[in-house]
Amino acid sequence: MRPLVTGATTPLGGSIVRMLLADPDVDHLIATGVEREPPAGILPASSRLIYQPVDLTRARAAHDLLFGTAQDLGVDTIIHLATHRSPHGTRMSHRLDVDAARELLLLAERLPAVRHLVFRSGAEVYAVRHSAPDLLDEDQPLELDPRAPASVRDHVEADLTACARMGTGRVAITVLRLAEVLVPSQGSQLWDYLESRVCLRPLGFDPMVNVLSLDDATAAVRLALRARDGGVFNIPGADTLPLSRIAARWGRIDLPVPGPLLAPLYRLRTRVVGLDFRYDLNARRFHFGGMLDGRRARERLGYRPSQPIDWPVAVASPARRSELRVDRLERESTGSHKE
Amino acid sequence: MNTAMADAPGPPSAASPPFRDAGHGYDLFGLRPATLSRAVALGRPLYEHYFRVESRGIETMPASGPVIVVANHSGALPVDGAMLCLDLLLRSSPTRIPRAVADRFVPLLPFAGTLLARLGVVAGTRANARCLLERGELLVVFPEGVSGVAKPFRDRYRLQDWTVGHAELALRHHAAVVPAAVIGAEESWPVALRLRGARLFGAPYLPVPASPLPLPVRYHIHYGEPIRFEHLPAEAADDPAIVAECAARVRDELEELIERGLGARRGLFR
Repeated sequence: MRPLVTGATTPLGGSIVRMLLADPDVDHLIATGVEREPPAGILPASSRLIYQPVDLTRARAAHDLLFGTAQDLGVDTIIHLATHRSPHGTRMSHRLDVDAARELLLLAERLPAVRHLVFRSGAEVYAVRHSAPDLLDEDQPLELDPRAPASVRDHVEADLTACARMGTGRVAITVLRLAEVLVPSQGSQLWDYLESRVCLRPLGFDPMVNVLSLDDATAAVRLALRARDGGVFNIPGADTLPLSRIAARWGRIDLPVPGPLLAPLYRLRTRVVGLDFRYDLNARRFHFGGMLDGRRARERLGYRPSQPIDWPVAVASPARRSELRVDRLERESTGSHKE
Repeated sequence: MNTAMADAPGPPSAASPPFRDAGHGYDLFGLRPATLSRAVALGRPLYEHYFRVESRGIETMPASGPVIVVANHSGALPVDGAMLCLDLLLRSSPTRIPRAVADRFVPLLPFAGTLLARLGVVAGTRANARCLLERGELLVVFPEGVSGVAKPFRDRYRLQDWTVGHAELALRHHAAVVPAAVIGAEESWPVALRLRGARLFGAPYLPVPASPLPLPVRYHIHYGEPIRFEHLPAEAADDPAIVAECAARVRDELEELIERGLGARRGLFR
């Protein structure tokens, strides 16, 4: 296999590149990012890895990448991970999220060696409503509300563009709708939410939220590459818990606030502190949840989430708490203490 | 799979029901056994001393596998649903956690929506029901829906609009259907007025009960024999005529149970 990975300088991109390099079937790998040099520690050193800085928002650059290095190397698989990390829908983010994705899909079809394209999408493309099921399968309605934030509309458009090309050419297209990958620099709104010491949520609501670890996201891509027959798949994570528990496990203060106050409070906080968290992007999810149903990925790709998030705050079970209490009492009675 | 109510005060029965922990003490739908157990402890005095619930026929409840308990519905607030779920929790053997299916506006209710989710209630969508039945859980549904709780006092124990979703689900997932007649609830807290203009949080109307609190009418819950449609293929769920026929059979059985229950009752408070 000779893959091309776009967006390789993100944590997910780096993890996928490492996974691919560990595979002896991978001859060579092209990794692209917008940075002139990959950030330290993201990509491993390997003679089989070629890093190429490419600005995919420029159609010419994308063309030259595919009909230059990629064609010369006989790239047969494209893993498109490049999305704009900012939640503020701008002209640049539209050009990367939508225009570049469309261009890549068209170019892949014209490159004879390319057989498979894996497109990374996300849970934000689904319309979350009170009337929707708790678990959203791939057939649930997408967020096509014209009042939805621009960045969400861009992601939906890109997802639909990929889906619309399925089965129309010789390139198999796999769309992976990932649950929120809880890592920095990956565009995770939940990560940005947890950046604050005090996490506000709507009073009276504590929805269940599913989060995906980097390891499970990487495993899903590996399985999608192996399956090669295309399709749309939800990729949920191994952790499902209420929003309030997420804040607690992250060591944050969970503070319920009357719903109508949340948007102005977060807007004010963004202006003062400059956070990337946008409440309007998450308002419905913070009321009604909306988790991904991974049944199709389980049945067709063999994907099962198995790697939970490494939560900073551990919660001991009642039995363990009791053990700890006994240990403490014993230490106190013998006069010893932990240094 | 874990067991529910293991770490909570006063487990309602010797055997703890199976519980699918999604990793943090909650299941995928938000059920939290510790909260459920506390609710059982709080609701038990109402169940035992206020409504003095008596039930018959629960011995035939399937011990495992997908089950849909179908009941009549009434009252200003779903006290009947609460008593039915308590009865299933306290008297089913082995204990099964009932997953009551609520109207789709319920998740809109602040506090109540979250609390109900922690107690195992799920919003009435086909996908939710499918997921639970595939896991072999026990659903509690009220096919009368809102028209059941909105019925006037004079129509008590007369089944209203009868939706057929429960029959379709039973056919598709080979679930046993257990009719349950709840006698007493329809006199306990009648609705005097429905303010249809006041669509608070998406609820179809605001109920104004005839009494500030439910009357201490004794509840009698009669469970019927499980109805099985296993002789029909799952594809029969796509045939509207078969689905309607199955739903009508469930309705007939429930009406018969109600008749028998009303006939056996010696008085409202006895």
